[in-house]
Parts: sequence; structure tokens; C-alpha cells
Amino acid sequence: MTMAINKKLLSLVLLVSSLSSIASASFSDPDSDSDLTNELVSLRSNSESGVIHLDDHGISKFLISSPTPRPYSILVFFDATQLHSKTELRLQELRREFGLVSATFLANNNGSDLNKLFFCEIEFSRSQSSFQRFGVNALPHIRLVTASTAKLSDESGQMDQSDFARLAESMAEFVEQRTKLTVGPIQRPPFLSKAQISVIVAMIVIATPFVIKRILRGETLLHDHRLWLSGAIFIYFFSVAGTMHNIIRKMPMFLQDRNDPNKLVFFYQGSGMQLGAEGFAVGFLYTVVGLLLAFVTNVLVRVRNLNVQRLVMLVALVVSSWAVKQVVYLDNWKTGYGIHPYWPSSWQ
Amino acid sequence: MAAVESLPPGTPSAMRNAFGTVLSALILVLIGVLAFSIRLFSVIKYESVIHEFDPYFNYRVTQFLSKNGIYEFWNWFDDRTWYPLGRVIGGTVYPGLTLTAGTIWWVLNAINIPLSVETVCVFTAPVFSAFASWATYLLTKEVKGSGAGLAAAALLAMVPSYISRSVAGSYDNEAVAIFALIFTFYLYIKTLNTGSLFYATLNAIAYFYMVCSWGGYTFIINLIPMHVLLCIVTGRYSPRLYIAYAPLVVLGTLLAALVPVVGFNAVLTSEHFASFLVFIIIHVVALVYYIKGILTPKMFKVAVTLVVSIGLVVCLIVVAVLVALVASSPTGGWSGRSLSLLDPTYASKYIPIIASVSEHQPPTWPSYFMDINVLAFLVPAGIIACFSPLSDASSFVVLYIVMSVYFSGVMVRLMLVLAPAACIMSGIALSQAFDVFTGSIKYQLSSKSKDDAEDNTSTKNAPKDDASSGKADKGEEVAKERLSKKGKKKEREPAEKPSVKSKIVKKKALVLPLEASIVALLLLIMLGAFYVIHCVWAAAEAYSAPSIVLTSQSHDGLHVFDDFRESYAWLSHNTDVDDKVASWWDYGYQTTAMANRTVIVDNNTWNNTHIATVGTAMSSPEKAAWEIFNSLDVKYVLVVFGGVIGYPSDDINKFLWMVRIGGGEFPHIKEADYLRDGQYRIDSEATPTMLNCLMYKLCYYRFVETDGKGYDRVRRTEIGKKHFKLTHFEEVFTSHHWMVRIYKLKPQKNRIRGRVKKLKQKTTSGVSSKSVKKNPWM
Repeated sequence: MTMAINKKLLSLVLLVSSLSSIASASFSDPDSDSDLTNELVSLRSNSESGVIHLDDHGISKFLISSPTPRPYSILVFFDATQLHSKTELRLQELRREFGLVSATFLANNNGSDLNKLFFCEIEFSRSQSSFQRFGVNALPHIRLVTASTAKLSDESGQMDQSDFARLAESMAEFVEQRTKLTVGPIQRPPFLSKAQISVIVAMIVIATPFVIKRILRGETLLHDHRLWLSGAIFIYFFSVAGTMHNIIRKMPMFLQDRNDPNKLVFFYQGSGMQLGAEGFAVGFLYTVVGLLLAFVTNVLVRVRNLNVQRLVMLVALVVSSWAVKQVVYLDNWKTGYGIHPYWPSSWQ
Repeated sequence: MAAVESLPPGTPSAMRNAFGTVLSALILVLIGVLAFSIRLFSVIKYESVIHEFDPYFNYRVTQFLSKNGIYEFWNWFDDRTWYPLGRVIGGTVYPGLTLTAGTIWWVLNAINIPLSVETVCVFTAPVFSAFASWATYLLTKEVKGSGAGLAAAALLAMVPSYISRSVAGSYDNEAVAIFALIFTFYLYIKTLNTGSLFYATLNAIAYFYMVCSWGGYTFIINLIPMHVLLCIVTGRYSPRLYIAYAPLVVLGTLLAALVPVVGFNAVLTSEHFASFLVFIIIHVVALVYYIKGILTPKMFKVAVTLVVSIGLVVCLIVVAVLVALVASSPTGGWSGRSLSLLDPTYASKYIPIIASVSEHQPPTWPSYFMDINVLAFLVPAGIIACFSPLSDASSFVVLYIVMSVYFSGVMVRLMLVLAPAACIMSGIALSQAFDVFTGSIKYQLSSKSKDDAEDNTSTKNAPKDDASSGKADKGEEVAKERLSKKGKKKEREPAEKPSVKSKIVKKKALVLPLEASIVALLLLIMLGAFYVIHCVWAAAEAYSAPSIVLTSQSHDGLHVFDDFRESYAWLSHNTDVDDKVASWWDYGYQTTAMANRTVIVDNNTWNNTHIATVGTAMSSPEKAAWEIFNSLDVKYVLVVFGGVIGYPSDDINKFLWMVRIGGGEFPHIKEADYLRDGQYRIDSEATPTMLNCLMYKLCYYRFVETDGKGYDRVRRTEIGKKHFKLTHFEEVFTSHHWMVRIYKLKPQKNRIRGRVKKLKQKTTSGVSSKSVKKNPWM
């Protein structure tokens, strides 16, 4: 009889204890929450620019096993070292910008807001299962796991292409919109540190007397006409090729054909835009005609051999007319202008 | 390219020389006629009207000037614009263009030629392009002789880039400024070549005229110091350089400070600092040369160390002061437009109002082909010709083309500054090529009749870089004259001495094969012909439209859209003279000039906040917009809508800029709210914010009644929200082709009713004031 009671009691105790453990798991326990937050804070303080490196274990600890609503949101950057070589994904650049946002967030917040958002990254080769859990199969991918997000595969927190188009600034906007926290203006590290600048200034000051001495003697590179000439021609080529447009608009050298991925598109139809390779090709055509003309009128006239002159001129003329024709053809194709002469109406 | 060579009088060729002078004068007159007449397409195809936007403001100012005189103009405070702020016109315009046209009008009237102010304004630009081509002739003549000068002038007379800014009716600053720019450069080069103080003074006055005319004068005051520095660094310092530069800086800066719009900027902003720095450097260098002249070489070495160290200290102090000055001003003392030249990505990041203007975009390669056409091919040859031999003058034009071509790459608008440089370079290249080819043909044709031996001696000295066609009988004299010229130069420029000497010794019969020369000549002529065809086409088709009257050619004939003038006339006839009209800033100048009504913002974009306010109103829902407009005393709102006839530069297409500029000042306007997945659309996929903003409603109100479907012919889609009513605005006027729509703000309701209605609205649609909830429809 006692045995039976004992058994019942035991099972009751077991039931109660298991119930209480379930309860403690499902109803958020402030103690364990602050433990997790503290752990994240200590992790953050040990990592560069405050981006915590998480693996499968960390993900399950901070995101899966922790009950919702969590006291913090986590912005996850999905990285893959093996894809760093693919420059078109811009993973490394985005990772740097991500670090900037994180550092700015740390610098501009203190007090309670600071511990409401953590910046983390996970690396593909070491945390493949986390990638699966998040349902991430294409990079670059940045995901915000808000305090209330229960399922990791919920994609509502995904950052759009447009949100990192303007790099750190737009990432910060995204974060501010979603979390209602302030990131503040992005603080980029200066191009040169103060020590570097002072060293450079000192070097310039020391070097100036020597430079002036050489200038007075007239024996610097600056006195070489050929240098100036090639510089001038290069800047001309650089500008007429529309390179500034490519730099400002960040145009790629070429595009992939939408219909046929194996084909590359080098020339873009429509006058408002151009591709990098296209610009250089036409810039070359622009420049080569003038160079050939200058060659014929300045150098070739000094050649004594008539046949050499004939041959070179033939080549120069053919190349020049080909270049002009190409440019005219390309221009008509690209802009769609129909340039036509005006003949007297009686001639038609 | 009739190459004309000036020969000393008293020789047998004096007759030919005189003939050449007359011929080149005749050619110059013809070039002037060409430059003027090629710009008349707009008057012939349309009518004699002022074009576009800014010219209307200039026209209005000129009218005021001719009516009230110069003193009234100088003190003019305009209360018709930037309501309620107003604008001090006299102190904020570049007065050069207005004063020029006003003077022309006054002179013509004084000699009893009664032209209207409008006619004078319309034809100012073509007249000044003729002047500009003559100035180009003078400049290029100083650099490479009159043959190149004539070629360059002919090219400039019809270069499309310049035509685009100077067709009849395009009454804008650039019309006179390009002439002033070229003429200032000419006087600088002239001073540099002659060392005459007379030309130096003229140069400062020409610079003053340029400062009066256009903000682009900063290009001059940076380019000339750069050239001076270049000359000093490459060991080309001479007293002539000093005379060319020092008076220009002193006089030019004093004169520039007289122009109210520049004022103390002439000494306070960073754009001018380069000239002062170079001013100091040239004095240090001059001192060094002076001391070198009065001391023995040994003493000089000691002195150099002394002077260099003192000069260095002075320079350092000045640099430190400049840095401190620059650092103390918010934008580093640079204006936004100049900054975006140095850091091309600056404007697009920080100043949407600059980035929004299409002429501030970087050009692609077809722009070069459109604007300078075949000159793009010839320029490299011109650059190389300038280097053989390099003189002070030719180094200046090389610097000019390099700078301008770089800046044109950043901002398509500066293509205009590139065009003269490209013409000069191409003129030099063409002239040189014609020289060589015609020279070879002539030499070989004449050598067939003569003996070879004789010709070899006579052409031995024919200078290749000369503009003459290398005639056998003329060659010797030409060379002599050149030699004496070079002799003079030798004294001035010791550096050039060896190269010139060796060149003359090395001279051979510089000829090319006959048949190849003929083919090359023909190809060059074809290239020139293509240029002419392109320029005439560009002048006739691309750049002649006044944009105030539009035409379209369709299968059933020519359509004329005169909606703008129709609506401005409606405004001036049907509204009270003190009514305020709100529109996007593009139409501000036209409204004040043509309708004579007060506007909130106009094309002089000096107050970003004010523009942002209008942008915010346009992007807000009706009620919020009504409150903004009402607080500005606005009675009418004008929108331009192209959806019916397919006019692409309407307000819906400009709308995103209104959002951006508005959002820049008032953060509750967010660009993302108006975009669906990053795409700007007005069809059924459009965001609710977009479909409920004022601009959408004013443009598409009753639009569905035109064709029953609401098909927008610009966006090529059916609009998202077709049937709606306006609560706070009422339509008062829609032009014939629906291009301009004018709405009146409904009067404020009685208080009680208003409150009831407000309550009602609150319960039905949840409208609340914008400060509480940004986006009631989300």
C-alpha cells in the first residue's frame, strides 16, 4: 500500500516538476532573460565593432530556445567566406558597412536602448544548419529577428536589396524604421588617421626645399613635354569615354543578357546610360582618329621612304574612317536620332 | 580653310598679303552671318518668343530695367516671388546680360529704331554668338596663326553645344558669357604674348564683364592661376607672365567685388583662393629672378636659400590662414555646385536640389557626339599640335581643354565651356592637316614641272608648324619672318632655344605621297561636311524648340500645343492681381513673367526650405496640403500634366524630386512611402500614400472622363485611382490639351460645420493631423 502511495507521489512530484519546468520555459523568466542579454553584452564587448560572431549553438541559445518576446532584437548578417571571391555579391563591402552601422549604434546609444539590439553575423561553412533554419539560400542576406519573431524562417525581417543599396546609411534607416531605435548619422572612419596626416605634412614640409631647388634648376619630370602630352591625351580619353558617369553611377563594365545568361551585353541602348566597357571602346575610337592624324602630320612627313608613307597613310585612313563610321553607327543605334541633311526641295 | 599669312610690307608679296587680309575679313564676316543665321531656326519654325524658364525671368528684369532705369533696377525688391519672403533682384542677379540687352535697346531707340524689348532679348544671343566666333578667331590666331583662327571660328559658329544655349529666344546668361569667356582668354594670351599693360587692363575689364554675366567666371579665375603656376613650375616664368597675371588679380578682384551678387565673395570664398595663392607665389618667383639678375652666381646661391626659406614661411602662414578660413565656414567655403565638381558624388548625396536638375548629371559618350560631334575626333590632334612647339599660349589652350573636358565629364552643363576649347583645338588640328596635305599636293604638282633639286633648297626652310601652305616661292621669306619672331622669343624664353634651333636644322622637304594626300584631304572635307550637316540638323531639330510652345508631327499633320500661354493668360485675366499661385519651382519664372502673379517658389532655388514646403504640400494628402497652402496665402495651385498628350516632363514625372526635397526638410515625408518595391508607379499597384497625395489628385482629377479608362500616355498605364472627389480644392481651369490645370483652394468652412465635418471624417476614414499620424491611409 505504501509502495503504491509512494509511486503515486513520485509520479505526482515528477509531473509537478516537469510542469514547472515547462512553465518556466514558456513564460519568460526575467532572470534568464537578463542572463542572455548580459551574455550578449559581454560577447559584444569582446568583438570588433560590436558585431557578435554566432554559430549554430549561439543561434539556438539566443534565438531558438529563448522564449518570445525576447528583450532584444538581433540583426543577422549572413556571410560565406567561400563566396568572398565573387565580387559582384559585394559581401565583404557589405560586411564592413554592417560593422559601421553597428559601431555607430554603439557610439550613439547608451542606457537601456543599447541592449535592445545586437548585431550578429553567422558564417555559412560553420553554421549550415542555421542557414537552413533561417531559410537563407541566396546571399547577400541581412535579417532582422525582432523581439516578437517566433519562427526563424519568417522572412518579414529580411532587408531588401534597396535597403543596402546606399550601404550603411540605408541599413541604418531600415533598422530605425523596424526597431524604432535610433542609430544616428553613420560615423565613417576618416580616410587618413591623424598620425598619418601629420607624417605626410611633415614629409611635405621637409621635401619642399629640395623640390624647389630642383624646380629652379629645371630638371624635374615636370619639364618633360611628353609627360604633359600623354597626361593631357589621357584625361581627354578618360572624359570623353564618360568614365565620370560610370564612377558616379557605379556602372558595371558589362551586363548579363536577361534572355541568355551566357551572353554578355557590352552596349546599352538608350542615351541616358552607358556601360563601362562601352565607354572605353568609344573613348578609344574618339581618341585614335586624332592620334593617327597627328601622327601623319607630325611624324610621317619626316619619313623619307615614299612606300612606307603610302602604306602607313593607307592604314591610318582606313582605321580613321572605320572609327568614325563605327561611332556614327553606334550613336544612331544608341540614341535613335535620325540626323539628316536638308536638301533643296526641288532636288527631291 | 583659307590660310592667310601676314608678310612684312614692301615685299613683292605685299599685294598678296593685303588680299589675304581682305579675304580673311570677308570670311570673318561670313562666319558672323553664319553664327547668327543658324540660330534663327527657332524663330522661323515657331515664332519670336522667349524660350524655356530662366529667360523669362531675364526678360522680366530687362523690361523692368528699360522702364525704370538703372538705379531703380539696382534697388529693386521683388515682392511677386518667394512669397512671403520676396527677393532683392538687384543684389542677387548677374546683371551683365540684362544690362547688355538694356543698353542695346536704349541705343536702338536713341537712333530711332523702335524695337520692342522682347525682340532685342530674343536676338541678343545670336548676335553674341557672332561676337564669340570672332573672339575665337582672335584667341586661336594668338596661339597658332590666322589659318587655325579662321578654322576655329567657323567651327565655333555652329558647334551644337553652344547653339543649344544661344538660339534666338534663349535669353540666358550663357548667351553673353561664352563670348566674355573667350574674349577674356584672348586678352590674357595677348598680354602674355606682348607684355603690354594696355592689354592687361583690358583683360581685367573683360573679366569684370564676365563676372557680371555668369557664375562660371570662377572657371577663369581658377584656370588662369593654374596656367601661371604651370608656367612657373615648368620654368617658363617671364616678366610678361607677371604683367599678364598680377594686374588681372588686383584689378579683377576689385572689379568683381563691385558686382552685388559677388561682393565680398570675391575675397572670402574658396573658389577665389587659388588666385591669391598664385599671386603670392609669382611675387616670390619674381623676386628670385630679380635677385638672380643683380647678383653673381655664387652670391645668388646664398641668396636663394635665404629667399626660399623666407618665401616658404610666408607661404605657410598664408596657407594656414586660408585653411583656418575654409575650416570656419560650414561648407568649407565652397558652394555646392563647385563642390560637386571636385567630389562628383557630393551633390547626389547631400543636395537633392542640385542633383535634381538634369543639366547637372554626368554625360555619357553620346552627349559628346551630340554636342561637339566630329570635333571629338580632332581634339587629340590639336593637343599634339600645341605641343610642337609648346609656347606659353599653346600651353594655355591645352590646359583649357584638359580642365574643361574633365569638368564636362562631371556635369553635362559644362559641355558649354568645353565647346570653345574643342573648337580651338580642332581648328588647330584641321589647319595643320590642311597645311600638310595641300602643301604636299602643291609641292609635288609644281615639282613635276620644275627640277627636283631646286625645290629641295627652297622648301628646306619651310616651317611645318606654320599656318602657311608652304608655297615654294614664299617659303624663304616666311621662314625668315618666323626666325625673327623666334629670335625675339629666344630672349624671353631661354628654355625653348635648343629645340627651335634643332628643328630648323632638321627641316626636310616635308611631303606626303600625292595620291594619299588627295584621299586624306577628301576624307577631311567629308568629315567637315558631316559636321555641318549635324550642326544644321541639331540647330533645326534638337535645339530650336522654345518649350513654351510644343509641336508634334503626326500622320494627320502638325499639332501645336500652346497650353502654357493659354493658362498664363487665363491667370492674368481671371484672377486678382495680388493672388498667390503655387506650383513647382520650374514654373515660377514663367508665372511671374507671363501671368504677373505672385509665386511661392521659382527657378532661383535660393531657399531650400521654401521649396521643400511646396514639395511637402504636393506630397501630402489633400487636407494637410490645404493647410500648408492656406498658411502661405495661396489662392491657386497650378500643376502641369502630360498624361493626355504624352508630354513627358510633367509634374508626375518630377514628383519624386518633390518628395525627396520635401523629405529633406520635413522627415515625415518618406520616399519609400511613394514607391512600391522601389518602383515609382501610379497604376493600381501604387501605394495608398501615392494615390492620395495632392499631386496625384490634382493631376488625375476627372482624368477618366477623357477616354473612359484613365490611360496615361506618358507612363503608358491605366491610373490606379480613377473616380474621386476633391474636398479642399476645386478645379477652375484646365487648358485645351489638359497640360496645365489650375485649382482654387476652397474657402474655409464655418467653424461649427467644419468641426462636425471633421468629426465625421475622423470616424469614417480616420483622418488626423499629420503630426500625430504620418500616414493615415497606410
